[in-house]
Amino acid sequence: MDKIRRRRDRLEVVYDILKIIRQHHNSIKPTPLLRYSNLSSQSFSEYLSELLEKGFVKEITDEKGKKFLTLTDKGFRYLEKYKLILGFIEEFEL
Amino acid sequence: MYTSSPLFLLVLRKNMDYMLAHHLIDPRLVVELGYTIIVVSLCFMIFFKTREIYDLTAHKGIKYFRITFLFFGLAYFFRFLSLLFILMKITFDIYLSSHIFKIFSMAFVGYFSTMAILSLTYSTIWKKLQIKHPLLLFNAIAILISCIAFISMPHSLLILSQAVLLSFTIIMAAYRYNKSRKTSQLFILYILFFLFWIVNLFILGPKRFLPIEIQIAFQIVSIVVIRVIYHKVTKWTK
Repeated sequence: MDKIRRRRDRLEVVYDILKIIRQHHNSIKPTPLLRYSNLSSQSFSEYLSELLEKGFVKEITDEKGKKFLTLTDKGFRYLEKYKLILGFIEEFEL
Repeated sequence: MYTSSPLFLLVLRKNMDYMLAHHLIDPRLVVELGYTIIVVSLCFMIFFKTREIYDLTAHKGIKYFRITFLFFGLAYFFRFLSLLFILMKITFDIYLSSHIFKIFSMAFVGYFSTMAILSLTYSTIWKKLQIKHPLLLFNAIAILISCIAFISMPHSLLILSQAVLLSFTIIMAAYRYNKSRKTSQLFILYILFFLFWIVNLFILGPKRFLPIEIQIAFQIVSIVVIRVIYHKVTKWTK
């Protein structure tokens, strides 16, 4: 129960957002992403701006003018390294 | 090109052998050079190996952890320079210039080692202790301590101030681990790492040279401690 209620930290939220994008064949609209990420709309926009600014995610527009979010190489690298990052933080009690 | 030619290396080796045989180079200097190269390399490797995970996360703990090793690497480098000037004075009797260089390198030793100690301490307690501009505060403390190192000769005050910082680190860490009720292997490693540093500073003081065998044994243990930390780092930064 505690595990369910516990607040996710920043690294975990970023991981969850990136994972959702990957699970949707690396292309998802912002609104469903907000719904799947279980964040308030304010927190979601803050995280999304950060991810766009730091180059984990990029916005693409299709022929119909619809906006989609996709992962960049950096985003994929984050997903790939996430477990190692957590291990490192735990190992050095950071 | 010239320096890598076999003839040059042969001449260099002959000269080194001659100087060692005739006590023109203190054997301590050779030991210290080897020790410094190993420790500085390990510290810098830890710093560079953690670059990617810091770039990906911008995690505060990782930031202070990695700069600790950058500062410790620099502190060990300047410590070697200080020792070089002390031993040069003994060997070649170049008093004035070596004395000035020694004072300057000790100031850098004071600055970099203080930054390292504070950064490592902060990397483990940053979640509990929120400081608005930690680097600014650490710089102020480090500059103060490097000024102490600059004006106080011999370096008793520098050793004392670093010992105070070390005690602060131990108290903070002990408080944290007491609360979490677990013994941390890492806590022991950090304490050893700091203790070795204090003893390394102590060696720089006047007439405080340890017998070379004890010094070598002590330095081997110290390298093992840093090597263990390096090994732990590489486990997670493949």
